[in-house]
Amino acid sequence: MSGFWPIFKRDLFAIFVTPMAWALIVIFLLLEGLNFYWLTVHFANQVDLAVDHGPLQWFFGETILFYLPLLMLPPALTMRSFAEERRAGTIESLLTAPVSTPGVVLAKWCAALATYLIAWAPTLLYIVILRRAGDVDWRVVGSSYLGVVLIGASFLSIGVLMSSMSKSQFVAVLLSLAVTVGLFILGIGEFIFDRGLAHDICSHISIWSQMADFSKGQIDSRHLVFHLSLTILPLFICVRVVDSWRWG
Amino acid sequence: MIEVKHLTKTYGSVQAVRDVSFEVGAKEVVGFLGPNGAGKSTTLRIIAGFLGATRGRVVVDGVDTVQEPVRARSRIGYMPENVPLYPEMRVNEYLRFRAELKGVPRAQRREAVERAMRDVHLFDHAQVIIGNLSKGYRQRVGLADALVSRPAVLVLDEPTAGLDPNQIRDVRDLIRSLAKHHAVLLSTHIMSEVESTCDRALVIDRGRLVAQGTLDDLRKLRRSRATRFAVRGEPARALEVLEKIEGVRDVREASNRQDVVVLEVRWTHKADTAAGTEQAVQALVDAGMKLREVAPTKASLEDVFALLTEEEQQEADESDASTDSDRGEASP
Repeated sequence: MSGFWPIFKRDLFAIFVTPMAWALIVIFLLLEGLNFYWLTVHFANQVDLAVDHGPLQWFFGETILFYLPLLMLPPALTMRSFAEERRAGTIESLLTAPVSTPGVVLAKWCAALATYLIAWAPTLLYIVILRRAGDVDWRVVGSSYLGVVLIGASFLSIGVLMSSMSKSQFVAVLLSLAVTVGLFILGIGEFIFDRGLAHDICSHISIWSQMADFSKGQIDSRHLVFHLSLTILPLFICVRVVDSWRWG
Repeated sequence: MIEVKHLTKTYGSVQAVRDVSFEVGAKEVVGFLGPNGAGKSTTLRIIAGFLGATRGRVVVDGVDTVQEPVRARSRIGYMPENVPLYPEMRVNEYLRFRAELKGVPRAQRREAVERAMRDVHLFDHAQVIIGNLSKGYRQRVGLADALVSRPAVLVLDEPTAGLDPNQIRDVRDLIRSLAKHHAVLLSTHIMSEVESTCDRALVIDRGRLVAQGTLDDLRKLRRSRATRFAVRGEPARALEVLEKIEGVRDVREASNRQDVVVLEVRWTHKADTAAGTEQAVQALVDAGMKLREVAPTKASLEDVFALLTEEEQQEADESDASTDSDRGEASP
């Protein structure tokens, strides 16, 4: 795992020293802020609340303003990871240093994950605001954020892999968007197919129904396994891809 | 310090490096000379661990680059061609990052970075953002990076490419001074660079090592087997006279300005040069020609390459029983 720490720090530095990360985070927080605003307007006029359709359920998974950034942010955060290093040629200095390939890949993924978490962190304020208006179920908050982190982890892992596939950030971002959005759309198949295998598969991979579970405070081990596999597998393939450059 | 044994690298059907073997000893500066696309960078990249070899092995400071890649890479300071750097970092930030990456312990990192910057005269630019540096300074950052962990071996890919003459001199002086502590392998396509910085040279062409030797050997390669005669008089007559001299392979008119014609005589054998020149001078004078200048022509780098690669071509098609005796002594 040699090389992990310096590369992690440098990647984080590289993300935040350019305006890109700040722009992304601002857009992200504007969308989430809008989401929260609509939610407060909506619930301020609501007289009685269903137990599993409160503000938190709404915020985590009932609006497009939640999914849009969830699907878009990870590809944007990871598109530079390997693509830019290869375009600029710095990958040569990086890989000729005494570093191990898993160390390099993990460092890049962790740096992207850290940025992703930093982007989400200010949304905790909404919980604080909600708490002033009424009770907040902390288990629901915890499981909802767990869902956000799990989905982020797997999407970022896919993003890092896609970034290693191309020398162009643009191609990298398109490839990972294709996967994340594709996965989401497949999930919608749950509502198209009534029953049968197709329905089961679609509902299993549906980000929507996973978030619905998480935002009700349910931590389903199937979702855990799904996202852990979707995190580990692309990272593993990415290590092989990076190794394969040596033998190209 | 570097042992390369039977190295071969194939890209699809193209053999970029073919069965190359050589060694670089401690405190030795070895130049890797060859035209563009000869396989220099590929070989250096394999040594540095960026590429894997198709066949053959590389041992750096006693460590096999395939069996223990990370340990082998920690012994090498490598400067890639064109010096790729992160433009958004400051010079000292970048070097600190590289030092940490190369495993310089925290306590020594600051000193290592400062020493490397001092060595390449970069100290005044420590705070400058790399993206704002000129080509010459970027090159120095690359060198400082290679030096920062005090590796046993330095591998520099075209360290003077794109620099102006003053910067080239600085970098060459620097490389010479580095040889006190490191084994250095550098690539170049400039013959004079090898002469001014290296103890020994390896000449590579089309993936194959065509010659290797000390500077004296190289100088011999450069010694020409042609002589120029600047003659005032009738060109046709002079040509006729020279062609009759023993040992002359051919004569060609190099230039003809006003009434002075310059004729270039190529000798069949190197041994003929001295006696032949004397005879030619005598014959020209006897023929009533006015002799302005007699000088051996210096073979350009291109000529030396042509010589070496011609020979290689000959080896390649040995069935072709060519009897051109000009080629025999090309390889030292």
